[in-house]
Amino acid sequence: MLPTPAIPRGRRRRRVRGRVWIVVAAVAVIVVGIGPPASPQRRWVVAFANLTEEPGVTLEGTGFTGPEVRESFTLAARPHPIDLVFYDNRRDDVRAVENAEAAVARRVDLYVQYHRSAAANATVAQKLKAAGIPVLAVNDPVPGAPLYALDNVAAGRMAGEALAQFAARAWSGQPTVAVAIGRVSAAAERVPERVRGVSDALRERMPAARLTTLDTQGNPAQVAPLLGAFLAANPSRRVLIAATDDATALAAKAAVEATGRARDAAIVGQGVDRTIHGGINDRKEIDPTNRNSIVIGSVAFYLDRLGYEVLPLALRMLRGEPVPPRTLTPHKLITAANVFIEYPPYDMN
Amino acid sequence: MARTALVAAGVLLFFLSLGSAAFAQTDCKKLVPASPWGPNDQTGATNRVTAAVTKAAAAEIQTGKVITMSYPLTDGVPLFGTRFTKTILTATSLAPGASFGENELTYMEDTWLSQSHVGTHLDGMGHIGRKDCYYNQTPMGKYINQNNMTRLGLEHLKSFATRGVIIDMVKVFQAAGKFKGNSACKKPCLDKGTVITSADLQAGLKMYNVTLREADIVIIHTGWGDLFEQFPAQNATYNSGAPGIGKDAANWLASQKVVAVGTDTWVVEVIPGENPKEAFIVHNILLTDNGIHIIENVRTDLIAAEAAATKRATFFVNMTVPKAVGLTGNFVAIDAIQ
Repeated sequence: MLPTPAIPRGRRRRRVRGRVWIVVAAVAVIVVGIGPPASPQRRWVVAFANLTEEPGVTLEGTGFTGPEVRESFTLAARPHPIDLVFYDNRRDDVRAVENAEAAVARRVDLYVQYHRSAAANATVAQKLKAAGIPVLAVNDPVPGAPLYALDNVAAGRMAGEALAQFAARAWSGQPTVAVAIGRVSAAAERVPERVRGVSDALRERMPAARLTTLDTQGNPAQVAPLLGAFLAANPSRRVLIAATDDATALAAKAAVEATGRARDAAIVGQGVDRTIHGGINDRKEIDPTNRNSIVIGSVAFYLDRLGYEVLPLALRMLRGEPVPPRTLTPHKLITAANVFIEYPPYDMN
Repeated sequence: MARTALVAAGVLLFFLSLGSAAFAQTDCKKLVPASPWGPNDQTGATNRVTAAVTKAAAAEIQTGKVITMSYPLTDGVPLFGTRFTKTILTATSLAPGASFGENELTYMEDTWLSQSHVGTHLDGMGHIGRKDCYYNQTPMGKYINQNNMTRLGLEHLKSFATRGVIIDMVKVFQAAGKFKGNSACKKPCLDKGTVITSADLQAGLKMYNVTLREADIVIIHTGWGDLFEQFPAQNATYNSGAPGIGKDAANWLASQKVVAVGTDTWVVEVIPGENPKEAFIVHNILLTDNGIHIIENVRTDLIAAEAAATKRATFFVNMTVPKAVGLTGNFVAIDAIQ
């Protein structure tokens, strides 16, 4: 047996202390190791009750449809711990309440309600509150629920400002009139708010330009006769056209060209649906290769990305984090200069 | 006189400074990482295919069975955007009296009008950039002319004689109980928009007890290629989107130092992408940032079936890429040899 080398007392103490720490660390590692297995990330069941799933029916006075809105939720949910349950409110109050009851029976974790009727929304709120299910409202208020909504006035202002800037740049000092055309009286879809935004912006930036409203009542075939008469009544003036949606903007362009007044007109649409931008091979009105179009832009409503805006709010609610009582869509003017940034044409068709 | 010269020089300097501002290029050092193989590298990930790698990969050849991983290249297959492919046969020597010599030799040849990124094809280093910045901080604006690139062309690539690994995502998603298919597929396929994560890839590797090695080529079977096989009937569906890897999976594959990533889709990455405002971001991650090739429209069903039957998901990759000077990519033929 070899003799143990003598160790000075101070070094021995340090060595003992060191050993104690090693033992403590080892015990800690074992305790952590034998603790309960790491639970997989909790998944939430979020119900989305859509305004309508009816094919071809457009929403909010834009060109977007219910299935496009639903698809945006499906795509947006992919990176999140969310399982979605879809309901179709069918723009029907009875159905909307039945859907909420079904969600209560299914014990969903959160309910996203997209429905017009204040009365039905109040009933839905009551039933879900009783079941302890939080609600997030889309575009129309639900009592006690945070709201995510379009900002029609702001969108209208953006259109008005874009038109005024164009006029200042291209037609400075020339007599100019302005027209708002489309479903201008569709109050349920808040289109008049859009028109008010246009009017406010034009009044501030071009006080001399009067704004005329032309109501197509949602019929694009009405654009040509209404706008044709307006153009004929203003033969020597430049014309700024605020269309309340993209289909109307494209119809207005056709009408202006048909009357030979393309050089006198500038158009801004609302929505930025796929009729005005599109895939790699679509003929797109708003396109970097079409910078001279008289459709100088359209204000994005992002209804095809609604899920990407709403689901993060829903997650914050589910995690008990505060959310603002009202969150508004970050509308943006889309032009040939930024359309590929906002809407990369990623599909092959 | 001297004062006039000074003024003239000042004016000249002023306009020169304006000019340089107008034509200033993007600072590529801020947009793209430097190559680990040095500032002059134009090769990218095939630098990893060393003699030792090829020798080790050759050990994968055990039965000698060859499984094709290419689709037929012919008119009517799905193509991206405005791409086209058209062949014209020259067969004039078949005309009476046009044969040569007593042995009456005849010949035929083709004119092939096509974009390079069609069918089963490889994306080269010059295919994808950020602004005008490409792989290895290359300010590509300086290196293109009307006909081709003068840097990062396919002629700089080294061998692809390495090990391949097939990862069967259909099986992974089925096993995890999260499989969502598309009714247009005749065989099981993941639906478009299905995000493949790094965890999914690792689950797929675990199925066959495979650990990735540096210089591997990773082939991912999604089943979406079934729509390619149905051309032209399902071209629109095939082109409308794709299942594929997301950013997390792309970054993980880059960290594994693979040479190439291929799938049976037109795009390798998930479409629609995870962030609707990002365009083909996985292409940026793999090609622009890491010099890792992307192989699209790979026929994966046969090798996936073979792996399931033999319980072997690894193979020797037999793929050559033409030394096409200044090209951004090209169609390729790929065989898996087991």
